[in-house]
Amino acid sequence: MDRRQFIQLGALAGGTLVASHALAQGQSHAVPSAPVSARARTPSIVAPGGQVAVTTPNGSTLPWRKVGGVKVGHLVAMPVKHTFAPGLEVEAWGYNGSTPGPTIEAVEGDRLRIYVTNRLPEPTTVHWHGLIIPNGMDGVSGLNQRPIAPGETFAYEFTLNQPGTYMYHPHYDEMTQMALGMMGMFIVHPKRPRGPRVVRDFALMTHEWKVLPGMRRPDPNAMSDFNVLTFNSKAFPATEPLVIGRGERVRIRLGNLSAMDHHPIHLHGLSFEMTGTDGGFVPESARYPETSILVPVGSTRVIEFVADEPGDWAMHCHMTHHVMNQMGHAAPVTLGADARAIDRRVQALVPGYMTMGQDGMGGMEEMGMPMPANSIPMKGGKGPFGPIDMGGMFTLLKVRENPDTEDGSGWYVHPKGTVADKADPVRMDADGINPDVRFG
Amino acid sequence: MKTWSSSRWKRPAAGTLVASMLTLGGCVTVPLANDARDVHTTLGARWMPGGPVVGLTSEALRGEDADAAVRALLAQPLTADTAVRIALLNNRDLRAAMHELGVATGNLVQMSLPPNPEVELEMRKPTRGGQPLQGDIGLEYDLSELILLPQRRGVAQAERTAARALTAGEVLHLAYRTRLGFYEVQARHQQLELRNRALQVAQAGYGTAVELEKAGNVRALEVATERSAVESARLAVAEAENALLDSREALNVLLGLFGPRTQWTVDSPLADPVNDLDSGEGLEARAIEASLDLAELRGRMEAADRRHGLARTEGFLPHLSGGFHGEKDEDRWEMGAHLTVGLPLFDRKQGVRMAALSSRESLKARYEATATAIRASLRQARGRVESTGRRARHVRDVLLPARRQVLDETVLQYNAMQVGVFEVLRAQAAVTDAASTYVETLLDHHRARSALEQLLAGRHQGLELGSIRVSSMSASSGAAAAADAH
Ligand SMILES: [Cu+2]
Repeated sequence: MDRRQFIQLGALAGGTLVASHALAQGQSHAVPSAPVSARARTPSIVAPGGQVAVTTPNGSTLPWRKVGGVKVGHLVAMPVKHTFAPGLEVEAWGYNGSTPGPTIEAVEGDRLRIYVTNRLPEPTTVHWHGLIIPNGMDGVSGLNQRPIAPGETFAYEFTLNQPGTYMYHPHYDEMTQMALGMMGMFIVHPKRPRGPRVVRDFALMTHEWKVLPGMRRPDPNAMSDFNVLTFNSKAFPATEPLVIGRGERVRIRLGNLSAMDHHPIHLHGLSFEMTGTDGGFVPESARYPETSILVPVGSTRVIEFVADEPGDWAMHCHMTHHVMNQMGHAAPVTLGADARAIDRRVQALVPGYMTMGQDGMGGMEEMGMPMPANSIPMKGGKGPFGPIDMGGMFTLLKVRENPDTEDGSGWYVHPKGTVADKADPVRMDADGINPDVRFG
Repeated sequence: MKTWSSSRWKRPAAGTLVASMLTLGGCVTVPLANDARDVHTTLGARWMPGGPVVGLTSEALRGEDADAAVRALLAQPLTADTAVRIALLNNRDLRAAMHELGVATGNLVQMSLPPNPEVELEMRKPTRGGQPLQGDIGLEYDLSELILLPQRRGVAQAERTAARALTAGEVLHLAYRTRLGFYEVQARHQQLELRNRALQVAQAGYGTAVELEKAGNVRALEVATERSAVESARLAVAEAENALLDSREALNVLLGLFGPRTQWTVDSPLADPVNDLDSGEGLEARAIEASLDLAELRGRMEAADRRHGLARTEGFLPHLSGGFHGEKDEDRWEMGAHLTVGLPLFDRKQGVRMAALSSRESLKARYEATATAIRASLRQARGRVESTGRRARHVRDVLLPARRQVLDETVLQYNAMQVGVFEVLRAQAAVTDAASTYVETLLDHHRARSALEQLLAGRHQGLELGSIRVSSMSASSGAAAAADAH
């Protein structure tokens, strides 16, 4: 990273960042000028002190137009056809053609004028979550402003006085509008950088949805049984990996606008410290190492780390149901049951029936059973050693020696002898290991 | 089975009814052959399409070769037509009806016979004197009876016409009831199969619950719930078995079968609903024209008319009888004739005439009432045929596929682990349930269709067009929709 990469302040190159849309089917053409790059190019410098632009995996950044010293942006609240992962497309709501909406990125001290056009069938507002701005700009319908009627465009204008990691979302019919995907990250870089400079800066918004297999509309009435869990509205295997360089200092900004669930996000292969929340920066004296961080509903958490171990590392919510795609939880458990005894009876009446899950549910996707239309239950990803039987709020941290040559699709090549494998019986014997040992 | 001693009865000669009786003179036999042919002819045009009229022969009715024919028919799985054929060959009530017609035929024959002359012989011997034995011979003949003979025969003729219509109607009625009985057996067979399938579904649920309980995955509650479903299903099977048994016995009565002969089989399901319904134009007129019920009433009206005419003639015709008389007095015959004339002063058959007139008026009113009822029944039957046909097709083409789709989608949801095996089985049970509704609706359709055919063939009495129950069919069950019209 050098000075040449510095781009003049206030001219953030919106959308020129890592925004591989290869997996983001359904994201509409309406995404404003988002050139697609397959390469994990080193982010550009967008703020003083060499602060790099925020990368929004599977997403984009809101572009600015500078008008008389004011950064002018435009958010259009609108229905969006959205694909969580190939095979599951829904009628969602979002901004500028996507959910989450584009990441708003600016610098402390900027004067912003953000126009909000409502193309939803009902009124809306935008609340700038965590920002301290004039009360009339806070976006709570009825309290701070009248709602933006369908077809209307409102202007929000304020100066950014505190740096940090924030979010934006509607404050009108919150339950419906957020359940359908209306949200985005709002990042304010400090005028003077805090702490060591990071090389990569990611924004991930966690969310949860209820879309029963065969449905095409996220259920805004759901209070439990959320079955689609997402990072930036994508479920694994459609989540775009985070490609970083070994030894690079990396920041990940996590925001949670889920309806009901906090998400303990767990990273493998490294430990990190929490450096910020939507309330501000965490003083160094208050930081401690962690490998999981709980991101509460309606909060942001910022973590920073340096990964020294190269490889493909899992990053996921640690709630085990949150790394499943559209699993149902109401059917009786078949684990340990005699499937043949059941099959014999049921298949006579329902040809094609097959008892599943009697040995557990791993690898179930491989069975290739016919599924309801528009659904991705049991869908997982493919890994170098076989299927990865997880979905949902799961992504990969790809730590590489040469991240700039990676497009994120390749797998880490392990040095010989560094992958766990079947044990050598001779070695076992020599080590005094008896696989037939009995207990109790 | 031994028929009643057919060998004791001589085969009746051919020829017209009355003539044969007269020709044969004293040799009296039952008029079965002619009666059968007569009924056959009466039915001819009215007989429903494909109907086996051949069963209605005197030979068959008297049991000759009937046994072999019945045996041959029973060797194959029954169809509605073969069942009707067997009933016509073997049903004793039908034979009784044919012999009842013989009673009317006998009356007619009797009424066609002229009165016999009376011959009187008288011998006299004076107690005194030497006079020889004297002899009288007289011949007496009831002239008024001879004059009234054609009219009396007319009455008997009309009565026999009525009786023939009644008998022909009973043939139709037997065929109709046999068809209904056969459809009922088919439906009960299918329902038993479906109840067995439902039991299988319940048993699969219970078996699954037991397996899952062994693995510790369900509570005793689920096992008990599934088991209670099995026990209910078992009860339903037992009911269906009973219903099948009942329907077979009802048909056995109509077929005149007992003993080992009741082991007949049926291997076809109820036929799909018939589409080719007549336009309905002129159906009422056709039913009125064909009606044997009305023909019977017409015959009885005519008999009453003729009884009235006879009584009038009798009332005004003085009683006449005439005779010849010969007396041998000594050596010469004295010949003479006489005529007796009764004076119709008091008894002019007023009462008989009054009774005949009343009887006629009564029959006329009944005729009109019957005609009205026939028209209503025809419209009802036609409506029923259409409605049940539409409903049956709806079940077959819409409801059943819809339930099958529910099953398919449930399997997909099951594959997606959204629902469990019990939901899959419930969806399958709903398919079976719809099939059950189809069978009952189809049975109603065939019953209505038979009723319509019966009306057009000319029989209105004993029509079974019960009331349709408007069921409150739930989403998953609908078997009750048609278990009514019985
Ligand atoms: Cu979670």
